[in-house]
Amino acid sequence: MAKGTHHVIIGIGIAGNRAAEILRERDPDCRITMITMSRLPFYNRYDLPKVFRGVRDWREILVDPPAHYDKSHITLRRDSRVTNVDGQRGTLTFAHNEEIGFDRVVVCTGGSGYLPEDLTDYRHLMNGFATFESAMTVYELLPEGGRVVMLGGDMIGLDLARTLLETGYRVTLVVNDYTFWPHRVAADQRGKYLEALERLGIEVHEGAKLERVKEGPKGMPARCLVFEDGSEVFGDVVMPFCGLVPSVEFMLSSGVDIERGLLVNPQLRTTNERIWAAGDVCQIWSAEENAYRFYYGWNNVRAMGEVAARNMTGEEEPFVSIGDEDLYVDKSGHINSPFWQHD
Amino acid sequence: MDSTDLQIIICGSAGDGTIAAGDILKRAMARAGYKVIAFDLYPAEIRGFGKCVARVRVTTEQVYSLKRRSDVLVSLDDSHAIEHVGEVRDFGAVIFENAPIARLREGRHMSAHVKPGQVPYGLAQREVCERATSSSRSRNIVVLGFLARMYGLPVAAFHEIIADKFKTKAPVVGESNIRAFDAGFEAATAYFKLDDVTLGPPSHVAEGADTVMMTGNGAVVQGCLDAGIGSFFGYPITPATTIMERLAVEMPKAGARLLQTEDEISAIAATIGAGYAGSRAATATSGPGLALMVEMLGLGVMAEVPCVIFVSQRGGPSTGMPTKTEQSDLNLAVFGGAGDAQRIVLAPTNVEGCYRCAGKAFELAEKFQTPVVILLDLYLSNRYETVIFSKDNIFEPNCSKAVEKQDPGQAYQRFQLTDDFVSPRAVPGDVGGMHTVTGLEHNELGRPSDSGEMHTRMSAKRHRKLEGALAHGDLNICKRFGDEGPVDVGILAWGSTFGESLEAMMAAQAEGIRCSAMKVVMLSPLPVDLIAGFLADCKEVLVPELNYEGQLANLVSGQLGRPLSRLSRVTGAPMQVEEILEQVRALAKGRAAA
Repeated sequence: MAKGTHHVIIGIGIAGNRAAEILRERDPDCRITMITMSRLPFYNRYDLPKVFRGVRDWREILVDPPAHYDKSHITLRRDSRVTNVDGQRGTLTFAHNEEIGFDRVVVCTGGSGYLPEDLTDYRHLMNGFATFESAMTVYELLPEGGRVVMLGGDMIGLDLARTLLETGYRVTLVVNDYTFWPHRVAADQRGKYLEALERLGIEVHEGAKLERVKEGPKGMPARCLVFEDGSEVFGDVVMPFCGLVPSVEFMLSSGVDIERGLLVNPQLRTTNERIWAAGDVCQIWSAEENAYRFYYGWNNVRAMGEVAARNMTGEEEPFVSIGDEDLYVDKSGHINSPFWQHD
Repeated sequence: MDSTDLQIIICGSAGDGTIAAGDILKRAMARAGYKVIAFDLYPAEIRGFGKCVARVRVTTEQVYSLKRRSDVLVSLDDSHAIEHVGEVRDFGAVIFENAPIARLREGRHMSAHVKPGQVPYGLAQREVCERATSSSRSRNIVVLGFLARMYGLPVAAFHEIIADKFKTKAPVVGESNIRAFDAGFEAATAYFKLDDVTLGPPSHVAEGADTVMMTGNGAVVQGCLDAGIGSFFGYPITPATTIMERLAVEMPKAGARLLQTEDEISAIAATIGAGYAGSRAATATSGPGLALMVEMLGLGVMAEVPCVIFVSQRGGPSTGMPTKTEQSDLNLAVFGGAGDAQRIVLAPTNVEGCYRCAGKAFELAEKFQTPVVILLDLYLSNRYETVIFSKDNIFEPNCSKAVEKQDPGQAYQRFQLTDDFVSPRAVPGDVGGMHTVTGLEHNELGRPSDSGEMHTRMSAKRHRKLEGALAHGDLNICKRFGDEGPVDVGILAWGSTFGESLEAMMAAQAEGIRCSAMKVVMLSPLPVDLIAGFLADCKEVLVPELNYEGQLANLVSGQLGRPLSRLSRVTGAPMQVEEILEQVRALAKGRAAA
């Protein structure tokens, strides 16, 4: 490895952070730059529900203390949005008009919460849960014992729902096509899992299609959901949990192949030899399925970061999915998912 | 949390409005009832490329200096601000432009330099400003609005100060800046506050007193006016110029006269002339100007003419560093000139002290019939502090020793040898007060005399009359702070460096070190007994000062023969509290080991 090779990691989530660890381990002299739109250093997104358990200082959910980056000689660029990656020239451009060079880049930007088209008109009446800031906003909006209405209910949302119920809040789940995402649940199995959710204490609303979201009348909870059958559901906060969309906009003119995510070979390299991808942002070629596919969950994402970094530093290892990917109801009757498993 | 201690740095290029933004910030916070200390750094060049830095410390408790680590850094120009990122503490905030027009080379944007423990807030300053005002000129005001929203700063006070600042311009200018402020405030609503910077409620002010915020030079002007200054002659020089500028506005209103002379020699000559004629007269200059004035200063000493010379020190020698602070003119102020020309030299340590020393200087000059030099420095001259002034005038309007009624035919002895060595003073026009004044040695009548005996007696007179100055009323010529009795380390400091020394002392005490600090305000004549008493209590003595030689340390050790530890810095910047504290720790540890 040439001394001073500049590795750039776009995204500082689980995949990006693991990639940085491996890169530093395998190439002690290399230069590492990590880039994120977040204002915070790497924190475990899986810990965000802890906000409702009293962890409201972001310093308590950092995976590494701030000094870690200096100690590891990593340049951390926060509040920085990449607008273009040029794999031919080996440069990337920021929204703030700065251009930096790189030798190799790994894209670990993950995904942002998907909002189905029919809900976009009500975006201003809903709250996301992707960042510490958004988690704190929801916490501040929720009165004691307040109700959260979840639209969809992907596994990120259901994880939050467990915490909300345990901390005295109430949850209504409005079931749609994205419920249980990323798990694909067969129609005949669906009822079993919804019953498990009800056993947890979640109020499940299924059937009628959502017509609109509006502000609640005075004296009532802040939000009101109106369904086509005329029924109404009230909540203090409405949160869409409809899966993730890979964050690839900035890669559109990079010349690499993109379908929904960045298309990578089993070694996680894109169609440009300087660019790798790891985590929720990439679709990995599966010879078995003869298709590109996503792999989700903390363990898979972390492994992808590791594999990408190893391959960026000379290896040619394929990514191998870790563990069972199926949703299940455990012996105590509770719904569970490998998606939730993390260190 | 009620206690507030918030320090904000605003850094930009000359022309960005950096100093103006700092000015509005400090005035608004002072108006809202907070205590403020502020200091600006600016380049010698007027516009275009030099770095400007405004530091504002806002507190509820009394503090004595700026902090080394700030809580918030606002960058109006990353090319200058990047080098200040390290001054921001962990979990403090860095606010910067995130939509610059110009393409930046790698590493030229603030985001590459914000430390992992700090919180970055990229703000499209220019875009926000252009949307609100159709121009980007008020970016500096946009960031003030942003700060106000993020930290709960008093919006009404900002609106008032902004309106006040632009009241001499077309109304549209003030309105536009208010819009810029409000736009910055609104922009901040989209930001989640992640830093741990907080602002508590303001402190309360005692009744019967006025709280104002002013610079050291501003306080000098106020002191001059309250003491009844009658004449001022000056020639512009950084960092003393603002004294003349303010006096030029205020003195005519009080029926007093000010003249800008052709150079410093003329200024001191005219000042001595006016003092001789009975006017409370002053001039103001900096080190290079004082160097030109010392010859005439000798005349003032020899002819026993009251006059006041304000000297704001800057980096020297020669033209040196005009916009950087230093304390290297002590030797010149105390000893400069030919012969044994002792004069009174005072060095205030804070803005309130500037006011008091300025007014008291006229009393001392009049009472002891001698030039009085007030030693300021750029840091003190330009530093803003909130000061609480008594509503009563504390200065004596006339301290002159009157001439008793003369017997017919009796010759008036202008330089009469008296018990207190001060002669009754007549001014031109006083009946029976006709006398001779000369730069030559003279007898009691003022007539030239080169007798050895007379020179000895007159030299003693000119020196010993000043001993009375050590007991002049209502002026702390020297004051001890901190632990009483024997201490491990004593800090002896003068001028603006005393504020940092006092903070270092308090920090040392908090660490369990027995520590005291003494400020020496009167540098000539030196209050030897008081200093000796202090030194006797100290196992170790540290003298921090902003000059290379250790001029106060030399002065004190020369008179008292006591070895002193020196902390001398000539970086052009104020002394750091931590630097002093580190030395105090080392000295205390050395003593413990011994």
